[in-house]
Amino acid sequence: MFPMLTLLSMFYYICLRRRSRSGTRSEALGSRRAVELGQRSALPVTVEVEQYGKEVLDFSSHYGSENSMSYTMWNLAGVPNVYPSSGDFTQTAVFRTYGSWWEQCTSSAQRFRRTPPSFHSQDYLELAFEEPVYPTAVEVLETYHPGAVIKILACSLNPFSQNPPVDVRWEVLWAGKPNKALTPQARQFSPSIKQINFATNLLRLEVNSSLLEYYTELDAVILRGVRERPILALYKIPVIDINDLSDSEEEISEAGGLCCRSGGENRHNLGNGYFDRLPYELIQLIVSHLPVPDLCRLAQSCKLFHKHCCDPLQYIQLSLQPYWARLTDASLSHLLSRCTLLQRLNMSWTGNRGAVTAAGFCSFMKACGVSLVCLELSCCHFLTEACLEVIAQTCPCLQELNLASCDRLQPQAFNHIVKLTNLRRLVLYRTKVEQSAILSILTFCPELKHLNLGSCVMIEDYDVVASMLSARCHSLRSLDLWRCRNLSEHGLAELVSGCRLLEELELGWCSTLQSSSGCFQHLARSLPRLRKLFLTANRTVCDSDLEELAANCSALEHLDILGTRMVSSASLRKLLQCCPQLKLLDVSFCSQVDSRLVQELSGLFPNVSIKKSFTQ
Amino acid sequence: MLSVLSYGRLVARAVIGGLSQTDSRDYSLVSASFGFGKDFRKGILKKGMCYGDDACFIARHRCADVLGVADGVGGWRDYGVDPSQFSGTLMRTCERLVKEGRFVPSNPVGILTTSYYELLQNKVPLLGSSTACIVVLDRQSHQLHTANLGDSGFLVVRGGEVVHRSDEQQHYFNTPFQLSIAPPEAEGSVLSDSPEAADSSSFDVQLGDIILTATDGLFDNMPDYMILQELKKLKNTNYESIQQTARSIAEQAHVLAYDPNYMSPFAQFACDNGLNVRGGKPDDITVLLSIVAEYTD
Repeated sequence: MFPMLTLLSMFYYICLRRRSRSGTRSEALGSRRAVELGQRSALPVTVEVEQYGKEVLDFSSHYGSENSMSYTMWNLAGVPNVYPSSGDFTQTAVFRTYGSWWEQCTSSAQRFRRTPPSFHSQDYLELAFEEPVYPTAVEVLETYHPGAVIKILACSLNPFSQNPPVDVRWEVLWAGKPNKALTPQARQFSPSIKQINFATNLLRLEVNSSLLEYYTELDAVILRGVRERPILALYKIPVIDINDLSDSEEEISEAGGLCCRSGGENRHNLGNGYFDRLPYELIQLIVSHLPVPDLCRLAQSCKLFHKHCCDPLQYIQLSLQPYWARLTDASLSHLLSRCTLLQRLNMSWTGNRGAVTAAGFCSFMKACGVSLVCLELSCCHFLTEACLEVIAQTCPCLQELNLASCDRLQPQAFNHIVKLTNLRRLVLYRTKVEQSAILSILTFCPELKHLNLGSCVMIEDYDVVASMLSARCHSLRSLDLWRCRNLSEHGLAELVSGCRLLEELELGWCSTLQSSSGCFQHLARSLPRLRKLFLTANRTVCDSDLEELAANCSALEHLDILGTRMVSSASLRKLLQCCPQLKLLDVSFCSQVDSRLVQELSGLFPNVSIKKSFTQ
Repeated sequence: MLSVLSYGRLVARAVIGGLSQTDSRDYSLVSASFGFGKDFRKGILKKGMCYGDDACFIARHRCADVLGVADGVGGWRDYGVDPSQFSGTLMRTCERLVKEGRFVPSNPVGILTTSYYELLQNKVPLLGSSTACIVVLDRQSHQLHTANLGDSGFLVVRGGEVVHRSDEQQHYFNTPFQLSIAPPEAEGSVLSDSPEAADSSSFDVQLGDIILTATDGLFDNMPDYMILQELKKLKNTNYESIQQTARSIAEQAHVLAYDPNYMSPFAQFACDNGLNVRGGKPDDITVLLSIVAEYTD
């Protein structure tokens, strides 16, 4: 009786299902036919919208001055001013560095291990447009030494909307390798971009200028897109790119979460093959070559790898910069347990649009910061005064601190750095640090070897800062005073008398230094170890200065004397003869140095890269 | 249908406009330029809006219309410096500042200061000096804000009479106040006035006011009554008529400049100071002529 009933009900159920299924199938067929017919009869005309950038919202560096419109990143917004002309123009957007010259200096950060080979970005900018569209093309108008753009990303957030950000996603539209074009002439760079399924009006460009001969300059960015989601996207099968996977769509937090659950799921005790026989240290060595997301994924595979991948010894150096788009507070809290031995941490560029908060960072610091020696926090806009206070309290051994372009940090936050008395390297490029704070820092951090105060506009009197450096920081090896507008010959003289070990001195665009006071000659005589000297746009550099450099600074490797009219070929020859280590010589816009002379000198001294920029 | 609506709107506006005391329409300047470089061989127009060593610009912004003239000091030629580079770059920088909105309409001296600062930010070592005169019309407030450094200047003409004019700033004879960038070796001996030294003024303007901005090439050769005579011939407020009038003023000044017997204002001033001279003053002439009109997009 009952088996009959169940059989009958099963039979009935199957028939019903089959009918409904065929019904839906025919319905589906019918609707598809309808759509196809619809497509054939009247294709909806999708209007392509073309937009220039409306506003540059964020960037990691630029060449120009903070309140200027010459060579600053804000020039990228709006219509092009220069294109299709080529040359070194003020109306373009220029980054702070190019080539590998800055990486060769001892003042640069050491590379972090485990940086994935696909991450080469050195600088970035974020450009907002008026209207969100589904992008069909992105054109970058490069007007000088093109080839730096290596990644274009789109954001799902509308930066101009009043609503709070919800589920911010960054999608890579295009990624490529660092490149250099054959000529420095202007070009329109329009790589083929991926189709994405959200409308965007916020683009991010990441650049790498390491192969370029000179500064790259960008004039404008054009975003082409459609307002309605393209129909094709509905029928498109998502193509899973193997490369995408290895760069990973997964959140590190997801990986971390799964990690905790998978521990007890190892049913087959077949062992881990030869891995069981290898000594612990050897597996650690093997695993140490994996980038961090792979490390998290490997941890899910079995107990053995879980033990290895969560071993704090794997997390002595940690670079989270390549994963800036995906790092969240949750990721940080999952990494907490493994990072107790952390010594070098790179969180530059992270925390984009609220993904990481000050609170999340502070708790991470409190748990993992005890042994920290190096902390890279460039462009971390989530940082607050409280964060710096926590850093100062929990990281007494900190030797390197990078806060470049943290321009939203309030001036009083920098007072906490005073407590980091072991500091060797401090980067405050483009921050709002004030004079009182920097003077206190210099008083209490006598071990300073590398100091970057480039474009620190809130410091009123650099002579006083130089005086303090001379008094307290005798180990100073490199000093970056890019665009410090009121350093005089007195400050410079005090500086070179107290900091005898100086090897790198960046005095570009310091317009108050006058060669007629003899300050550069005094500098040359006082700093025999000098390897890098930038006197960019100091229009007073003259032949006697170069002669003194030739006579005293035989270790000189990088020299920039852009824009002076008072240097002739004779002193240049002398310099090139007496400084055999010279690798970089920038004589752009030096009126007595024409291209014929540059060619001749390049032939005589082939190891020196002589730069002569041009404009029209 | 549409014309009925627009007609109705016009009528309503006229009625309301007539009833209310204050005029809430936005004003704008319809402007044209003309000029002659002293040296014909260089051609009349070089790099656009440059007449010899003079330079000028006309720029529109959402909230203001801005004009400017700059007279490059010719003495630099003797030292191998092209005087038109400084004045031309100064004017182009002012134009760019206005287009990007980096200015305050009520502070035209600020435009000069910022522009001068930007010149120093150029990698190219610029040298030279020039006078400068900036005129800003604030669309909403109907006020004209001006800044003048040197011996260029402007006239405001209403109902056939001059109601406002700028004052010349001179250190001594034929040496006006000037913005300059000097080579470092000559820094002490080259005249260099700060942009803050510019004279500034602000006043109301009405529809139909004519504003003439020019370099001293015009004012030294044509007295006011001749300029006013030419301006009387201006009947329309459209661009072509203004262009035509600017051209005729400039041409007349150019002819007078080379007349050896004519008692020009320049010669008159010299005589008043004990120098017995006659004739015009050959110089670069730049004329910017504008009329205050209603703002149309």
